[in-house]
Amino acid sequence: MSYCVNCGVELDRDAAACPLCQTPVINPVCPPDPQAIPNFPMERQEVEPVDHRELAILLSAMTVCTGVCCGLLNFVLWRGVPWSLFVVGACAVLWVWLVPPLLLRRAPSAVLLLLDLLAVGGLLVLIGTVLQGSVWLSGIALPVWAGFSLILLTIWMAAKNRSFLSRAMLILGGLALFLVWLEFIIDRFLGTYRPMWSLIAAAVAVTLMLPLAVVRTRPNLRRQVRRRFHF
Amino acid sequence: MEPCASQPSWYHLDNAAMMYSAIQRGNYSALYRFSAVMTDPVDPQCLQRAIDKTLPRFPGFQVKIRRGFFWYYFERDDGPGPVLQRDIRNPCQPVRFQNHDKLIRFFYYEKRISMEVFHALADGGGALVLFKTLLAVYLREMGHAVPNTHGILDVTQPPQPEEWEDAYARYAHSRVHLSMSEPKAYACTGTPEPFYTLNVTMGFVSVRELHAAAKGHGASITEYLAAILLQSILIRQRREGHRRELPVSLAAPINLRPYFPSTTLRNFILTVRPSINPELGDYTLDEIIAQVHHHMRLHITRQEMQAVITKNVSLQHILPLQLVPSPVKNFAMDLGYRIAGSRPYSTTFTNPGIFQVPEEMESLIHHMEVVLGQSYTPRVNCAAISFGDIMEITFAGTVRESDVEREFFRTLVREGLHVKVTSNRKECVPCHTASTVE
Ligand SMILES: [Zn+2]
Repeated sequence: MSYCVNCGVELDRDAAACPLCQTPVINPVCPPDPQAIPNFPMERQEVEPVDHRELAILLSAMTVCTGVCCGLLNFVLWRGVPWSLFVVGACAVLWVWLVPPLLLRRAPSAVLLLLDLLAVGGLLVLIGTVLQGSVWLSGIALPVWAGFSLILLTIWMAAKNRSFLSRAMLILGGLALFLVWLEFIIDRFLGTYRPMWSLIAAAVAVTLMLPLAVVRTRPNLRRQVRRRFHF
Repeated sequence: MEPCASQPSWYHLDNAAMMYSAIQRGNYSALYRFSAVMTDPVDPQCLQRAIDKTLPRFPGFQVKIRRGFFWYYFERDDGPGPVLQRDIRNPCQPVRFQNHDKLIRFFYYEKRISMEVFHALADGGGALVLFKTLLAVYLREMGHAVPNTHGILDVTQPPQPEEWEDAYARYAHSRVHLSMSEPKAYACTGTPEPFYTLNVTMGFVSVRELHAAAKGHGASITEYLAAILLQSILIRQRREGHRRELPVSLAAPINLRPYFPSTTLRNFILTVRPSINPELGDYTLDEIIAQVHHHMRLHITRQEMQAVITKNVSLQHILPLQLVPSPVKNFAMDLGYRIAGSRPYSTTFTNPGIFQVPEEMESLIHHMEVVLGQSYTPRVNCAAISFGDIMEITFAGTVRESDVEREFFRTLVREGLHVKVTSNRKECVPCHTASTVE
């Protein structure tokens, strides 16, 4: 048997290192005995992950029920405006938001987010077609939606495993970009592009980003800030 | 024998069980494990027979947990089992209510017999009665004569209703509702391991030496160990270098049976909260021991504990709360625990005490072990149990760091005690066997 030179505790006969401090056992008189029966079994076993199918079925049934009921009411009682299509569309969006995260637990979160955004896009197209509003649909709604989706997805993927500061910078940058894009789309829809408020907002965002970037790149400063602002 | 005939087909959860089942999540369960390391290798057939003979005497452990509209409840489990399993390296796996998992499990490995219990069923005191009886029945199956003394129940007798009473409800009659003010404590969390990895480190100390050491500081063994644990966590917090340090507090469950006569095998515990505030200044080990000693003596009184029980039980009898559907209630309780419950404690320290058995069994058991599963956040929990001259102290948690246990056992060594350490951590296995594990 060996003792840990660091901790002074007696170790198992088959221990290759101290479990407390990971100091390896180097004992020429009594090396670790791999033949000894280990004190703990080698086999691992894991319980099955939680089954979410029941909940998924329940949620699906609820959204389908709402959609079908509204559809029936619409076509039986109040004909005329096909308002039930909006409800059905909203139910479909809700379903995409709730059910895939339950079933596709191994899918990367960006894929789920993409699905969510595509569902919103689909709803916009649906509303646009029903109201015959192809002008504002292609002029404003879809470009804004596309820009928002692209920026959100980029931030989502880029922000993974980043520090708090980097995330804050990414979010500020994304916000600035989105505002510029928003004003561009609105102005283009209304006539001529004259950048105004979005540039001011973007400038504010960039000025906020600058000190963050400085702190992020200077380790000394970063330690200082972490000490002062930790919570 | 028809032992279940008088047993109701369902019953309420007690006050502690409600909490343990409400904080239940996919990754963590409030489970604990008792193990007996015998002097001879375990015979699985005999042990399975012993389980089948013993459990009908303990109907409270043969239940499933079901979700009612307003509350969870226990339902009698008439299915087969529990089945004895080969032991695994990562103990205290979470239970799944919706899969109707057994709330009690049995394992064997070489000379070790282990039993895992979901905390909503029973506290350590109740579970040890079952475990002791099981060991006695097993040893009888192996051909030894073991009498029904020292708390071993007679498995040929029918179960007694008072063994399944909700003892909290019986004693919740204080005129005063007492709630302790519980300030936020230092959260002794660390880097979480991947799911289902419970790092277990056990230390073995001589009870005689430990008793002498504790007595040298004028304390009991429990107070002495709790104080050393407090000191280890204080050192850890100091090393992290915070500008303001938080109090370090332990959740130390106290068995209420000695104070309020009850033979219940269900939960009947309260936690006391020995605490050290490092903002007041640095404490020496002797000062910490004195703090713990006096805190325990001051607060573990029948009157004060009864007032706390009354307060806890009264909470579940507020009609508007009772009528909230159970998913909402569980969510709220979980949130409350997240905000208030685990925050006033740095970690848990439990010492179920001396495992006493009849003389005939003593020579057949080598030592006892206890492991606390990970019930909530990844942090290391401490538990101790003694049998004969061997005190076993376990640190278990899903954190990668081993600094708390390192400091703890080094302190014991510095105090002049001989400590033997063993662990299921990957790094401790010799290289070539480790490669086969991966
Ligand atoms: Zn060591």
